[in-house]
Amino acid sequence: MEKRAAVALSGVSKRFDTLTAVSNLSLRIAEGSVFGLLGPNGAGKTTTLRMILRIMLPDEGSIEMLGRPHDSSAQDLIGYLPEERGLYTRMKVREVLVFLAALKGLSETEARRRVDEWLERFELTSWADRKVLDLSKGMQQKVQFIVAVIHRPPLLILDEPFTGLDPVNAALVKDIMLDLRQKGATVILSTHRMEQVEMMCDSICLINKGESVLQGELAAIKRSYGKNTVRIESAGDGDFLNLPGVVQSLNHFGAVTEAKLVPGADPQEILKAALARGVRINHFELVEPPLNDIFIEKVGGAHA
Amino acid sequence: MRKLWLVIKREYLTRVRTKAFIVGTIALPLFSIGILAIQIYTATRQTDHTLKVAVVDDAGGLADAVAKGLNGKLPNGQPAFQVVQTLERPAASELDDLRTQVQNGRLDAFLVVPEGATEGKAGAEFHTTNPGEITITDSIDRAVSDAVIAQRLHDRGVNVQDVGQLVKSVEVKLMKVSAQGETEEKGQTFITAIIVGMILYITLIVYGVTTMRSVIEEKSSRVMEILVASVRPLHLLLGKILGVAAVGLTQYAIWVVLAGLVSAYGVTAAAMFRPGASLPPIHMPWAVLASMMAFFLCGYFLYSSLYAAIGAMCSNDQEAQQLQTPVTLLIVAGFLLFNIILHDPNSTPSVVLSMIPFFAPILMVLRISMQTPPLWQIALSIAISILTTAGIVYFSARVYRVGVLMYGKRPSLVELARWLKYT
Repeated sequence: MEKRAAVALSGVSKRFDTLTAVSNLSLRIAEGSVFGLLGPNGAGKTTTLRMILRIMLPDEGSIEMLGRPHDSSAQDLIGYLPEERGLYTRMKVREVLVFLAALKGLSETEARRRVDEWLERFELTSWADRKVLDLSKGMQQKVQFIVAVIHRPPLLILDEPFTGLDPVNAALVKDIMLDLRQKGATVILSTHRMEQVEMMCDSICLINKGESVLQGELAAIKRSYGKNTVRIESAGDGDFLNLPGVVQSLNHFGAVTEAKLVPGADPQEILKAALARGVRINHFELVEPPLNDIFIEKVGGAHA
Repeated sequence: MRKLWLVIKREYLTRVRTKAFIVGTIALPLFSIGILAIQIYTATRQTDHTLKVAVVDDAGGLADAVAKGLNGKLPNGQPAFQVVQTLERPAASELDDLRTQVQNGRLDAFLVVPEGATEGKAGAEFHTTNPGEITITDSIDRAVSDAVIAQRLHDRGVNVQDVGQLVKSVEVKLMKVSAQGETEEKGQTFITAIIVGMILYITLIVYGVTTMRSVIEEKSSRVMEILVASVRPLHLLLGKILGVAAVGLTQYAIWVVLAGLVSAYGVTAAAMFRPGASLPPIHMPWAVLASMMAFFLCGYFLYSSLYAAIGAMCSNDQEAQQLQTPVTLLIVAGFLLFNIILHDPNSTPSVVLSMIPFFAPILMVLRISMQTPPLWQIALSIAISILTTAGIVYFSARVYRVGVLMYGKRPSLVELARWLKYT
């Protein structure tokens, strides 16, 4: 059964002078899903997000949100964590949060109550009456995240949400994000960290030069590439992997090496080569290509 | 509308709570009162005692008349001078003795009427330790002049009892003809106009620049991205302008109240130092006040939105510093054109200049306070101002909504024209 679309873009284009930032982009983001918006720098991700946020209006095409017309009241339904973080640095933490929450439609009493709750959850209560200026980068990051979620938006747009956070806080942010999604919220995640996308996203859209180059459910995309990659953990230097005609490219991660196979090649050839050289294999697994490779193939190819 | 109100409130509260505002609001009047108090104090101190003087008459026959003429009074009613000694053509040693007496304080001063004074060949000299302290030179002037004139008249065979009565000049009063009838002009209209002009001038620049910096602050701290994702840029712009305006009005309200207290209690306080002191009455009809307010508000919105647009075009204060110069020059020009109005408020240049919305806030207000111009001119000027202001606010809002998201290179005029077309 097809779920209602949280956001649907149809044929959206946006131009600045001679530059076409987004060109004829159509997207359908299912309600309650985590959607990854990927692409190299300057691909048009921020412009796309800004149009969904109604910071800009598309030159062509239309946007629909949660089955409603996309007017300025739609802004209250979105929580936004921009890539360029920014708060009023000279205001007190609590005041900034209450102000920004009220701008999203909360009453000031309700805003105050929730601000205290969230500060508690992020262990920032003792900083509530300090100026934002006095906070560390990581703490400002947490405050910024609170701004995005405090009004419990049905649509959450997070641009690189984990940069600058230590593992503990990154886990906290991730848990909150998944918790909101559990309660029905839709999340649009824009990031360059492919392993995060692989772990969290249901669907993705890869854009390059303003156009969609790959779109769909993440699992289906990966399946379509087939299990064409071997993940190997071995002793020694891995010279045995230089097998022209079998291995197309290598990706070294230290302990683990990923070898992309030439189409049609038999993975057993690798094992044979290892045995022939007497190399000890600790791990051998046939896997779907990592998203990282798909990204590079799609975008790198387009650049070449 | 609720969001607009939230923006105004934040802008207002965060500014009013700053130390800069509190210090600025309290310090300026305290500073002025302090200066005033020092002036009153020194002004009363200078002449608070009768000066002991000696009169030296080298011309001959004038000493008594001069001594009699030194009849000035101190503000407290005491005589200003006490002539303790008169000398006619003294020897050099006697003059030296007088000098010593002045030096050691037994005498405050000695007045020398030189030979040839009657013929107009030489002027008199007043010798004292601190000439700067003597504020009543005109009464010394008069005493010597009267004595010399009496002597000259006497030499020509005219006998006079009171020269003062004879040479008394006729005072010319300046009368101002206005719609309210005729009133005596003591320069208060002129002073009021200058003061109002100064206040407008300072306000336009200070609060215009404040608005501009506020925009830049939101841009450079990157909070703008969050703001425009929550509020329409037009509301953000209006909220900022209104919020800063409210800060300015608060400051003026505090000053007006303080000024009221000072003029109510200040006169009493001044009277303790100096009986008979009073402040010159300021008369300002309501119609003048109302039209001033109208021009003030128009000018304020006009310039604030221009400054806000400039803030939106820049990424930092240094850039803005350069870009704001043309706008600031417009305000300065309005102030420099003051003279044309003062010279003749009804001349063609005056009328034309006071119609230009960029100058009207200062120049039309000046014309109104000097000599009420025809009603149609005021109405036309207000109408032009309102229309232009609306246009500028619209223009600024367009620039603002694009500019707030642009960082890096500031736009050329061509790019600016393109911004206006963006959606």
